[in-house]
Amino acid sequence: MSDNRIEGYARALFEIARAEGSLDEVEDELFRLARTLESNDALRNALTDEKIPVARRQGIVEDLLGGKVTGTSVQLVSMVVGSGRGRDLPAIIDKLVKRASSAKQLEVAQVRSAVALTADQQTRLAAALANATGKEVNLKVVVDPSVIGGIVATVGDTVIDGSIRTRLDNVKSRL
Amino acid sequence: MSEVEEVMQTHSWIWPEPYEIIFGTMASGLIFGLLIKFVVPLAKKALTARTVSIQAELDSGANDLASAEQEAQDIRQAIGDIASERARILAETNVQAEALLRDGRARLAQELVEIQERGQSEIVSIGLRVSDELRAEISRLSGAAIDQVVRTSLTDATQQELIENFISKVGASR
Repeated sequence: MSDNRIEGYARALFEIARAEGSLDEVEDELFRLARTLESNDALRNALTDEKIPVARRQGIVEDLLGGKVTGTSVQLVSMVVGSGRGRDLPAIIDKLVKRASSAKQLEVAQVRSAVALTADQQTRLAAALANATGKEVNLKVVVDPSVIGGIVATVGDTVIDGSIRTRLDNVKSRL
Repeated sequence: MSEVEEVMQTHSWIWPEPYEIIFGTMASGLIFGLLIKFVVPLAKKALTARTVSIQAELDSGANDLASAEQEAQDIRQAIGDIASERARILAETNVQAEALLRDGRARLAQELVEIQERGQSEIVSIGLRVSDELRAEISRLSGAAIDQVVRTSLTDATQQELIENFISKVGASR
């Protein structure tokens, strides 16, 4: 899918979420959904397999997200999957999050942690990242067991890696 | 004697009648004359032609004999040439065979040296590869062991400590 089309879908989702007055919740929920899709092959295949009827794929979305996220998020994801763009959903969502952050004059800070962060930790981490990068950040936390321990934070092109995974990889490469 | 018997009886038991002798002599002379005039020239001509033909055949036979003798001479010459050619070819073949044998031996010796060198090189290469594979396997096993040890030693408290350290470190950097 071309960047223009992804950008177009992201803009549409952004405008709908903003019109619904649930932009913050929607972008947060969709961001977590995007990361889940990236790490879950079965789910990604189910939403992108053209042999499965569109209605069935939309049903999977509603079963998966219904009651756990806002109705707007469910409808937006269902709309994208229904239009046959399920494969590009993570890219569309990333554009949406970036656009939402830009609207708030924030930089997206994607944080991968082996365990969930408390609200206090997220606040302090956002402040620390803002201090380190000189930009106000929109923190997006992803629980990623492959990190093993510690945190990997990505702000724009800057990656701050304090993960056990990377340290172990360094040790292995030295071995 | 009757009249009929008188007519059929000649005057001599051996001589014909005189008129028969006259007419017979004339007819014989005429026939001989005609033979001499017409048949003898033809016979002479035929004999002459026969003589020429026989002479031509004799000449042709002589020519054939000369040709046969020449051919026999040529064949004898060719036999001689073939013998010398055979000897020359055999000599050349011997020379070529010796050269081939010499080249073959040299090439075999060279190939033997190359095979030995290649074998040595492959032995070294295999040794290095095995060593690398062994090192990689040790590294992989060590990595897996380290992973396992680290994962089992990471308690909730350690996780929180890692997160707090990260926040402090990032917050302190500028």
